[in-house]
Amino acid sequence: MGHVTLTDTTKRYEEVVAVDEMNLQIEDGEFLCLVGPSGCGKSTTLEMISGLTLPTSGTVEIAGEDVTNEPPKDRNISMVFQNIALFPHMDVRDNISFGLRLRDFEDEEIERRVQQAAKTVQLEGMLDRTPSELSGGQQQRVGIARAIVREPAVFLMDEPLANLDAKLRVHMRTEIQRLQKELDITTIYVTHDQEEAMTMADRIAIINQGNLQQCAPPLECYDRPANRFVASFIGSPSMNLYDGSASGDVLDLTHFQVDHALDLDADHNDVTVGIRPEDVYLVSSEDEPATPSTAFEAVVDVLEPVGDQTYAYLTPQGAQSDSDSVMGEGGPELLVSIDPDTTIEEEATIEIVFDREKTHVFDGETGDAIAHGVIDETVAEPTAVSAENEARGD
Amino acid sequence: MSNAVTDESKGRVGQFVDLMVNNPYDTYRILFYVGLTSFLMITLFPFYWLLVLAVSGGGTYGMGFLPDSVNIGVFVEIFSQQPIHLYIFNSIVIAMITVVICLVIGSLAGYAFGRVDFRGKGPLMLLLLIVSYFPGIAYLIPLYEMLTGSLTVGPFMTPDLYNTPWAMAFPFTMLTLPITIFILTTFFSQIPDGLEDAARVEGTTRLGALFRVILPLSAPGVVTAAIIVFISVYREFFFSFMMSRGNPDDWAVLVYGILAFEQQSGSQHHFMAAASIVGVIPVAVLVIFAQKHIVRGLTQGGLKE
Repeated sequence: MGHVTLTDTTKRYEEVVAVDEMNLQIEDGEFLCLVGPSGCGKSTTLEMISGLTLPTSGTVEIAGEDVTNEPPKDRNISMVFQNIALFPHMDVRDNISFGLRLRDFEDEEIERRVQQAAKTVQLEGMLDRTPSELSGGQQQRVGIARAIVREPAVFLMDEPLANLDAKLRVHMRTEIQRLQKELDITTIYVTHDQEEAMTMADRIAIINQGNLQQCAPPLECYDRPANRFVASFIGSPSMNLYDGSASGDVLDLTHFQVDHALDLDADHNDVTVGIRPEDVYLVSSEDEPATPSTAFEAVVDVLEPVGDQTYAYLTPQGAQSDSDSVMGEGGPELLVSIDPDTTIEEEATIEIVFDREKTHVFDGETGDAIAHGVIDETVAEPTAVSAENEARGD
Repeated sequence: MSNAVTDESKGRVGQFVDLMVNNPYDTYRILFYVGLTSFLMITLFPFYWLLVLAVSGGGTYGMGFLPDSVNIGVFVEIFSQQPIHLYIFNSIVIAMITVVICLVIGSLAGYAFGRVDFRGKGPLMLLLLIVSYFPGIAYLIPLYEMLTGSLTVGPFMTPDLYNTPWAMAFPFTMLTLPITIFILTTFFSQIPDGLEDAARVEGTTRLGALFRVILPLSAPGVVTAAIIVFISVYREFFFSFMMSRGNPDDWAVLVYGILAFEQQSGSQHHFMAAASIVGVIPVAVLVIFAQKHIVRGLTQGGLKE
């Protein structure tokens, strides 16, 4: 009853294309997160679904009905806003019942529903207060109550937790998830926080520069990112990415080599290889992966202990000379998450391997994923050994 | 001190300056009260002078700073001479009509200017500003023609509104609308977009959001605009004089009531003064009750969050 379909939905502001031909299918009862960096068009997408912004072209369907040009009030949606947007001149009861009163509900029905909604968000005793007398978390709960009281077909949330402090945010996150499961209402949730998206959503839609990058369940986005952007955006700390080329069965990443067993053709000479910090291991550590890559040496730059693990910033041996000038994506620096009990020190030279199962290869030019897990499973073990020797001889 | 001059050798002025320099706090206080007193004298003296004129009863000749005699009865007497209360009533009604029209049109215009982006917004506001500085008298002849029913537009003739409140409310609206629009535009533009979006998602139209959310939240601005319009209409003379014959039944306003004393039996200045004082009362009461809003409206108007 509450499925949403976007077909080639585009929003153009003069010269700027905010959202470019977005195609999205959101199932009934699904919890979808729109996630992306600031200004990527995720809020604009939500506004087009809500009707607060009209698309330049394309259509929006809610519950099978084309609502592209309908005003927000006729779309059977409700919305929770980042700045909460409670009406300051009304008390909590009037805020929650605002939409019901506009729709000429009976007084008893309004009261019953308001009580029900207040109970759901645990605000029972506060109906006569004004929004200014409530804390940030309580205000946002009123905002949610106002949204659920009308029992809409679709629930839209525009970074509803962004203005709350960290502890409350985590608490409200679970509250919203619980509520969504309970009410089983289609929910579209906008956030720039990939962690929030990962933990809450059934599926996440990653958007960048107005284009949909990938729309898939959280773990699929994590394990099989559709392109380089998704790979670097999802996951914290983000994936290590290296430009290089594939020649023969070796990926040459300028400062070090990794062997592979992919069936690559000549077109893939320009590639980017990605490896997550947790998929890089110290040689001879206990949890060394079953499918290690060529080992290579690296120097420990900085150690950042965060408690449950330690982040080590490494510079591959071959890149020592120019390590000062290059940082971040594309640079030779390698971020590794290691066991906090590991006894390594800064300035030390250590040997590391990649988990080849978890290595990702992207096309250097388009950024599209070519392969995930740089290994042909049937030949995993033999190549690993021989490759190690080859690298040592380097 | 490097200055070798001793206290004895200084003149009185020098000693005074020393005193002030050595007691800056007291000096500021003294200067503050000197300034305040001067300001009050300047603004309130005409009013006091009017009061003296009203109660002394001897006309303008030989008036002193203090009244020769005090005749409070003059404030009752004026009502038996002229129906001042009717004139005041007419003034209030016309002012209120103007306030209502200005607020309705001004809200809509303020919404457009304050909350909607459209092509030509800047030039249009500038035009409004320019027009608002035109002297009202510039419109007199065309307005008079139009409002007395002598203007034909194609087959239609304008209605004759002479001696009705509309003949006055129309030009007043025209003259006070720009300031209303400016005040409301400033206030409306400060209401967060989220609130309007919330109202629209909850089920109002844009217009509904304006009246249910934006307008109530701009209350200080609305009150300020209303009072500014009310006062400027209440004290208006020119169009009131042109658009009515001058009888209370013909919607003549307060200024006509005051003038009526002159026409009857020479100049009875003390009656006119007394009528003027009585006429000020409604505005004074209004301002006293609304002053909190006005101060908030005028100061807040210039600030952005």
